[in-house]
Amino acid sequence: MTDDKDVLRDVWFGRIPTCFTLYQDEITEREAEPYYLLLPRISYLTLVTDKVKKHFQKVMRQEEVSEIWFEYEGTPLKWHYPIGLLFDLHASNTALPWCITVHFKNFPEKDLLHCHSKDVIEAHFMACIKEADALKHKSQVINEMQKKDHKQLWMGLQNDKFEQFWAINRKLMEYPPEDSGFRYIPFRIYQATTERPFIQKLFRPVDSGGQLHTLGDLLKDVCPSALAPEDGEKKTQVMIHGIEPMLETPLQWLSEHMSYPDNFLHISIIPRPTD
Amino acid sequence: ESLDDSQVDGVCATGEVIRYEYHVLYSSSYQVPVLYFRVCFLDGRALTLDEIWKSVHACYQARLLEGPWDTITQQEHPLLGQPFFVLHPCRTNEFMSAVLTSSRKENRQTNYIASWLSIVGPVVGLNLSLSYAKLASEQNTEADVI
Repeated sequence: MTDDKDVLRDVWFGRIPTCFTLYQDEITEREAEPYYLLLPRISYLTLVTDKVKKHFQKVMRQEEVSEIWFEYEGTPLKWHYPIGLLFDLHASNTALPWCITVHFKNFPEKDLLHCHSKDVIEAHFMACIKEADALKHKSQVINEMQKKDHKQLWMGLQNDKFEQFWAINRKLMEYPPEDSGFRYIPFRIYQATTERPFIQKLFRPVDSGGQLHTLGDLLKDVCPSALAPEDGEKKTQVMIHGIEPMLETPLQWLSEHMSYPDNFLHISIIPRPTD
Repeated sequence: ESLDDSQVDGVCATGEVIRYEYHVLYSSSYQVPVLYFRVCFLDGRALTLDEIWKSVHACYQARLLEGPWDTITQQEHPLLGQPFFVLHPCRTNEFMSAVLTSSRKENRQTNYIASWLSIVGPVVGLNLSLSYAKLASEQNTEADVI
């Protein structure tokens, strides 16, 4: 039986083989070769693509280069969503490598947040962690930490340092011994087919009788369309980090072991492939 | 839930028309209201945070720099999925509890949203008409009579 701690490592070190191609209308001085990279599922596009940017800027003139942005099959990719979520949501049932198009012009103001520096990514990441702790612990654990602990969470993510990150993050995964879990579970459920970007609601890890809520309980309550009708075929997949956890899995366990570094469970509901 | 959204046309120094769009949403995570806003020229071009800041009245700028509103950041609107600017909600409880405590002492009714919006609105160019305050005090008078 795999140790629970192994799950934490598997989640942290998950990678997606990606091929970056420059948008054909970008003006170049010579032909741009595609760039291949293994992207960390738990990180953010603008945090891990410095090399991609440098590679394409080498064949472009300075004046043609403005803020970089990424697109997959016509859909601008939200850099503030973790990479693994973007892949699961948009491309999980397609052939690898994941083919992303790189743009340096016509930034889609109505769709994407700007990302002018790493500070913006850090601010976004820390805001997510703070919101997760507001849900889990009424912000008590995050507020008790010193600034250097907050910095360590960010540096751990930025430098891909599992031990450094978890030395602090483990405190955010604790709860009082008299309780059975967190106050509320930080989660967001995404469906590419809806206008609403995600579903997020208050949901407790335990029911009034003290029983642990499962992933299935959560879906039944906040997104019943994701579940198969009693006698019908399963039309959707419920995916976290590229896998479909059993619906009987306790939500508290999922929150402790399969959250992203921002401490949220990002869950994708995608159409089941019909091969 | 989106409680209210309104658009206001304003005129800035160069004489161009800019449109402010405000949404009040409720954060279930922080259990407080949150102000989302975006500002565009009529041709649809969005203003940057710098440009918006410059349009805040000078008399507010110095005071706001030390205000309890922490930061304004760009975030995704949780229902529309589009970029908006947001006043971070994590300090709201702090400054609202002072307002609520003093109202309770004076045995006055407060409209939470009107009070909250009158504090955070001016930071981002939204000035609440005094008629909102008069409405709240009318409710107080009625309550006294009963």
